[in-house]
Amino acid sequence: MDDGFAEYVAHRHLRLCRMAYLLARDWGTAEDLVQTALAKAWLAWRRIEGNPDPYVYRIIVNTHASWWRRRWRGEVPAATLPETADPRDPAGEVEGQAALWKAIGALSPRQRAVIVLHYFEGRTLAQVAEIVGCSLGAVKSQLSRALTRLRVDPDIQTMTLEEVQR
Amino acid sequence: MRHTESDLRELLNEHGHERAGREPSAHLDAIVRRGRRMRRTRRAVTAGTALACAAVAAVGVTGLLPAGPHRAEGTAVARRPVDSAQVTPGPELDDTMRVVLGTKKFDLHLIHSQRFETVGGVQKVTFTPTSVYTGEKVICEDPRAWVVVEHRGRGGEPTGGTGRCGDGVGGHGDELSVPSGWLKRPQYLQVWVFPADAPVREVAEAVNGCRPAVKGEDCDETAQSVALMNPEVRRRLSAIVGGRPGRWAIGVYDRPAPGTSVSTGPVPDNGPTVATERPADGASTPAG
Repeated sequence: MDDGFAEYVAHRHLRLCRMAYLLARDWGTAEDLVQTALAKAWLAWRRIEGNPDPYVYRIIVNTHASWWRRRWRGEVPAATLPETADPRDPAGEVEGQAALWKAIGALSPRQRAVIVLHYFEGRTLAQVAEIVGCSLGAVKSQLSRALTRLRVDPDIQTMTLEEVQR
Repeated sequence: MRHTESDLRELLNEHGHERAGREPSAHLDAIVRRGRRMRRTRRAVTAGTALACAAVAAVGVTGLLPAGPHRAEGTAVARRPVDSAQVTPGPELDDTMRVVLGTKKFDLHLIHSQRFETVGGVQKVTFTPTSVYTGEKVICEDPRAWVVVEHRGRGGEPTGGTGRCGDGVGGHGDELSVPSGWLKRPQYLQVWVFPADAPVREVAEAVNGCRPAVKGEDCDETAQSVALMNPEVRRRLSAIVGGRPGRWAIGVYDRPAPGTSVSTGPVPDNGPTVATERPADGASTPAG
């Protein structure tokens, strides 16, 4: 049973690993996530028509969420980020990047998935909603909360594009 | 310090292209081996009703069954638009549950499952654990449904978790977390599943004011989730929404009892955390 599965794996494996790494923040776990997702996709391959990416992404996101909850059950992320140095200071800017990376790690699995799919994979919010299995409104809400927690100011132009696409 | 969306994109790109000392490589044979192992395990654990469904699907009566991972390969499904996921994930339980405890990673196998057709009430789920690593997971037709799982803590006190369906799993992680006599007798869980639109917020506010975790915040999802731990909130919700139709299922996962594990073959070369054991024969309970 192949039907393009081998080509898909060869073509997409690295990209899937990168996306999974941003979710899991560990290369070993990311590769394991991707292998699990691809194994599940292999089982359903003949029933997948069109682009398999959404199906594979969905498995990665859901599997990561379940592993994450298992590992971090009970943890309550902080509502605020620690203050960093003066942003005009180059060293402070580096610290700011580190703080942003750390803050991404403190997001819930679902919020992190929305951030990664939208900003790293370049998926529209409607596509993100399909992948994570919830409504467009719920994705917008998750994105808004995540950006607030990350202290990222939404780009008005991007939001307008989303509105047009919707 | 505040950031822009460009900062965020740049940061994700930077970290997404980091290397862990080597290039991640695709091992197709390992992926296929893992897929075959999943299929074998699914077939082994879906005894009883689930197995019967799979068997019916295998002989070609496809139109009567929901789509899901237990359908036989090659069965026909309706066409969907390109660029959409083609397999509709129904409330199907995974055959394994991945556990990550620090550097330890392993899979638990489905030892018991039950299905329900209504939401809003409480269900008691009895099972016989086979180790101290017992875990449970609830899956729902509507993944936004609210779920409350309550079980005995180490001292016999009620403990458990609440949240949206599919968001999490629970269970015990070692011998220190299980109640005394865990392996000596059947154990039980109590599970409430409420519809996604159940008035949790209103009921919580009526009962105790729905106290948010962060002062000054709204009665958000987290606060509502915490409120569901209150038995009075659950009781009132059950009175309001009890008996509504809604399919859900619970799976209890565990390690095989000592002496009953069966090796399914060598561990793939690059598969550091694959399952190497299957549940004992007959350990799974037919879906209810």
